[in-house]
Amino acid sequence: MLVKKSLQSLTGKLLLTIGTLMIIGSTLFWYFLFRHQEKELIQNSVKYGYSFVDYIKKSTRYGMLTFQELIIQQTIEAIGSAEGVIDVRIIDRQGKIKYSSTKQGVGEVLPKESPICLSCHVSGKPIKDTPSWSIHKGEKDFRILNFVQPVYNEPSCYTSTCHAHSKDQRVLGVIEANLSLEILDKSIKKQGIAITVYVLAFLFVISVVLCLILWNLVSTPVSMLAKGMERVAGGDLDYTINIKRKDEMGELANAFNAMTSDLKKAKDELMEWGNTLEKKVQEKTETIHRAQAQLVHSEKLASLGRMAAGVAHEINSPLTGIVTFGHLLQKKFPPGTQEREDIEVIIDQANRCSTIIKGLLGFARASAAEKALTNVNDVLHSSMNIVRNKADFFDIKLITDFDPALLRVKADSSQLQQVFLNMIVNAADAMEGKGTLTVTTRNISENNQDFIEVVFRDTGPGIPQDNLEKLFEPFFTTKPVGKGTGLGLAVSHGIIQDHGGKIAVRTKLNEGSSFIIKLPAQRENT
Amino acid sequence: MSKGKILVVDDEAIVRTSCSRTLSPEGYEVRLATNGAEGLKMASEERFDLVLTDLKMPDMDGIEVLRIIKEKWPETAVIIVTGYQTVDTAVKAIKLGAYDYIEKPFTPDALISAVTEALTSTQK
Repeated sequence: MLVKKSLQSLTGKLLLTIGTLMIIGSTLFWYFLFRHQEKELIQNSVKYGYSFVDYIKKSTRYGMLTFQELIIQQTIEAIGSAEGVIDVRIIDRQGKIKYSSTKQGVGEVLPKESPICLSCHVSGKPIKDTPSWSIHKGEKDFRILNFVQPVYNEPSCYTSTCHAHSKDQRVLGVIEANLSLEILDKSIKKQGIAITVYVLAFLFVISVVLCLILWNLVSTPVSMLAKGMERVAGGDLDYTINIKRKDEMGELANAFNAMTSDLKKAKDELMEWGNTLEKKVQEKTETIHRAQAQLVHSEKLASLGRMAAGVAHEINSPLTGIVTFGHLLQKKFPPGTQEREDIEVIIDQANRCSTIIKGLLGFARASAAEKALTNVNDVLHSSMNIVRNKADFFDIKLITDFDPALLRVKADSSQLQQVFLNMIVNAADAMEGKGTLTVTTRNISENNQDFIEVVFRDTGPGIPQDNLEKLFEPFFTTKPVGKGTGLGLAVSHGIIQDHGGKIAVRTKLNEGSSFIIKLPAQRENT
Repeated sequence: MSKGKILVVDDEAIVRTSCSRTLSPEGYEVRLATNGAEGLKMASEERFDLVLTDLKMPDMDGIEVLRIIKEKWPETAVIIVTGYQTVDTAVKAIKLGAYDYIEKPFTPDALISAVTEALTSTQK
């Protein structure tokens, strides 16, 4: 399994390919070198063999010419006893062995099919009378080099006194020598082994070096890259590959790192975008919800206003009757009587109804204002002067902090005064006649629009969270029965809204409340 | 000898009665009309020193009554009685020649003083 896997790897494939090529190359190299050396050696042996045969011929020449057979036999025996010589024979034209270094077969006639005869007498071809050599397998492990040298007729032969040969004979016989190739074979074998060892050693060293080079140059960086890819695919975008090289692998690693960091950047941007989008959607949703609530509130107030106006109109006439007839009846009883006091209660309660209805009317008529450029500081001053001498304000410290450069607003000053008086009276009621009321004015800018801001800050007990939501609803009041109608803030809210402004509350329990009024301001030159 | 002749135009019976019960004991001669048309008809039959008219009535509103009376009998003083007083209608009424306006519900004293003042100033 592991072997299969490593063979499938890039390094494995490279090693297999290069290794196979190397083995084939080395084998071919080894084979041709071996063959070349063998050929060289054999050629040298043949050369030596020829001179050896020539030497035999020359050594026996005298004996031949003088026809001394014994001397010839002795010479051949002497030559045949040399190392590496197996045997030397001289054979005549008829194939009869005349002399032999081993003395074996002397006098025998060789058949025409014997190898020595066939070397010249090939059937169907002219007789070959040139020296020839051949190699054949010996009885032992080594080979035998066989030489056949024809002995040519020459004048000294046919003119010799023995008259053994006539003049027209061309070849008189052959000299055959069999030389042992044992030393040569041994040397070739030795060299072959040496070359094989060298080639194997070379192959081994090359393979190891190749393995190391491939491991360092290819396998390690490739597996680092693969690991990196795996990590990045798994979401780890902080992963970097540390290949400090200037080759293609180094470039690849740098490109990979750049890609990862780009990916990380893109992912971060995307996430950031997603987050802000969510936040923006949330903000927008809240704004829409607020606007919707405001709209519902305004609609509610408007329909309440219409209803209040209708009710006020209908109720005022019966109230006129009650008040008028109350007074008429009252006059019938002398002062101090119980009846007169009872009627007084009726008239008072009718008047209270009248006050409530006036409040309702004020709430309903907020749209019918006469607007002019107004200095809010002045309106505030006059509002405060109205309350300053009232008994309810004796123990209240009034602090004013007005911006002298306050921009003007387009407003109905009597309606503004109604709002401001409402704020001041509410603050005094909240503080139960004791505390500090701070009124400040200043210019502010919101969304490139000029506004003026009026803040009424009291040191009362603050407004509980539950009441905050209902604060501007008509008829909501925390004051004792008979003291407040619950219309003051609703009317104020209506008036400020009609002026394009806003009214808001900031409150902290036991520390006090601030009513903040914002009205759109007009630049003097516009 | 009556202190003056007063015409009360109002669609609400209780308001008419309240006015006559308040003003008659004070020595005024009070006539009552239930709507604008009836009021104008009575005005054309006899001369009134003062007309008290409601602002909102079913057939003809107080402003219209005021306009016609001021057109035909400019010396007659008109006081607008309203249960739905708004700044713009009050301003409109004054512009058309009304002497004053009083808000419902009014007390007998408020009505008497408004009527007295109007008659005193027009008789001068």
